Amino acid sequence: MAGWLDGNLVGFVDGIAFGLLLFTIAVGLSLVFGMMDVLNLAHGTLYLGGAYTAYALSDGTLPGLLLALTAGALVGALGGAALTWLTQPLARRGHLDQAVLTLGITFIVADLLAAAFGGEVLPTDPPAALRGTVDLLGHTYPVYRLVFIAVAACLAVLVHLLFERSSLGALVRATVADRDMVRAQGVDIRKVLYGVFALGAALAAVGGVLGAPTLGPGPGVDESVLVLSLVVVVVGGLGSVRGALVGALLIGQVQTLGVALLPQYAPFLLFGTMLAVLVVRPHGLVASAVRT
Amino acid sequence: MAGRFHPLVLITVTTGLLLATGCGGASLGTGDDNKQAGPVKIGLLVPQSGTYKALGDDMKQGFELYVRQHGGRLGGREVQIVTADEGETADSGKAAAEKLVKQDRVLAVSGVVSSATVNGVKDLFETSRIPLVGSNASPTTLTGTEYIWRTSYVNDEPGKALGRHVAERAGGPVFLIAAGYQAGKDEIEGFKSTFLPAGGKIAGEEVYTPFPGTKNFQPYLSQIENSGAKAVFCFYAGGAAVDFVKQYRDFGLAGKIPLYAPGFLTEGGVLKGQGDAAEGILTALNYSADLDNAANRQFAPAYRAAHGTDPTTYAMASWDAAQVLDKAIGAAGSAVTPETVNAALSSVGDIDSPRGTWRFNSGGTPIQPWYLREVKLGANTVAGDLGRLGG
Repeated sequence: MAGWLDGNLVGFVDGIAFGLLLFTIAVGLSLVFGMMDVLNLAHGTLYLGGAYTAYALSDGTLPGLLLALTAGALVGALGGAALTWLTQPLARRGHLDQAVLTLGITFIVADLLAAAFGGEVLPTDPPAALRGTVDLLGHTYPVYRLVFIAVAACLAVLVHLLFERSSLGALVRATVADRDMVRAQGVDIRKVLYGVFALGAALAAVGGVLGAPTLGPGPGVDESVLVLSLVVVVVGGLGSVRGALVGALLIGQVQTLGVALLPQYAPFLLFGTMLAVLVVRPHGLVASAVRT
Repeated sequence: MAGRFHPLVLITVTTGLLLATGCGGASLGTGDDNKQAGPVKIGLLVPQSGTYKALGDDMKQGFELYVRQHGGRLGGREVQIVTADEGETADSGKAAAEKLVKQDRVLAVSGVVSSATVNGVKDLFETSRIPLVGSNASPTTLTGTEYIWRTSYVNDEPGKALGRHVAERAGGPVFLIAAGYQAGKDEIEGFKSTFLPAGGKIAGEEVYTPFPGTKNFQPYLSQIENSGAKAVFCFYAGGAAVDFVKQYRDFGLAGKIPLYAPGFLTEGGVLKGQGDAAEGILTALNYSADLDNAANRQFAPAYRAAHGTDPTTYAMASWDAAQVLDKAIGAAGSAVTPETVNAALSSVGDIDSPRGTWRFNSGGTPIQPWYLREVKLGANTVAGDLGRLGG
């Protein structure tokens, strides 16, 4: 048992790192879809926007990373606001129209980004201070990924507190539960919608900045990130922070420990897990607190 | 809302839409076909969109450079190049090839990045009897063709070129890992075909990582570390090559376990993406930009001057495709038709290439020299000779 643990320790820790990256990306998709009922398939593009921001601003220093994080959050928030504005007219026309519109946007933006940055995956190294490896009970592990775990865990706690514990979160949940009642209180519903969308999008872009050394910016990254996010949302359950976290951590472990333990099934593990979860719990592992 | 939501439908729709966009349209061209005495039309079938765009750009630039260096003429005839977008899939490639052959009525076609496209257009070129001088894709399964030539190499040859060398140098078992699709399997099989007879031992079992989609290589890197391997042979290209090499360094394997690979691992734009993580990687390829020979002195500096980067093997093979067509069109004399050009292709003889001298074998691929290369200060440099292959 001890040997088994030792042999898979790195995989387990890395599963947490990868899972937290997926959480940072996917939580916005889950909240916007689950709470605001807007299906945003341009979510991977928001990640890509953050990753390119990291490439453009990363100069190998910690201030450079902080600058990239700020700029990335801004790019993401603006992108989220723009997407809210674009999808608003389709609010009553169902998810298929939203899917076509937002997917169309991803293709246009992907082509623009390819024209601006070229067709290659671009190098984005973590700050010099966070490069190198540490000894993890006898195994080598990249320092940057450990730091990433700490930062992403803080983000997860903050997002949880914001949505589940703060009065702002209460307002959002109330809006989801009964729009008319909240409107009757004199609250501008659109501001809530814009706010949640911008926040979710900013998180995806921040994920892009932090994740760039792992999932570097390049053509096609937006699609793989979108698919992973959709799987996380489907597995975790829509519209709850806890659901996104549970789904992301599970998929993170499936993609690291699972792949290491069952290499011959590696190509099927991701969607196999999703299928298994859907059969047992059609609405995901964690049901939304407000919409069930 | 939860009741209306069907996750599987959503995933299916999304996947469908993503796939559908792979079928990009071909670019528009002019359709005049009474051009017996005037310029000859050559089709360039390369990706101008999608994942393989970077490769397509290299190939286009290599071909156009040769034509430009020769006064816009091939075989004494003025050349009109018609470019069509191969896209990402066999379907988009086939549509573009049909447009070149049937609508533009080109004399010959060059290009083609993807093996799937080559397989998809094989019958088209064979039945319409128009030569395809391919400058990249060359699957091992492509045999018995009369009109399809390649100036690159057969898919399993980079692995074959490296096997013996690694068996002699590794000093222990070697871990084999590749992207899980046809090209990856070809390279691993090619490698084993020379590695095992030379006494090489494999560490554990060979691993194929899911393709596309593997972004986090940590599970496989742990396997490598735990296997006790003295060296690694891997096959990756494009974005996966960048991810694999960077994570190989991040998890502390670089400098500890030597990494060998077919040249694409560090070729072209991916090398920039890998940065200093690529230092010391050893690869096998038929070309290195720093080769010192007459043809490369004509090719590499001109390419660098025009595009600001070292030429890749993709650009070089396309430059050679233009050179081969130059010779064949010249040899076809006054009666230049696709069939006379194709006949002339079989007797173009020795080609003075930036890679060294080579000639076509009976299967229409080069008999050529192979080089061991090492990444030093961000560039591939020749580190040894791996003999000739293709005979």
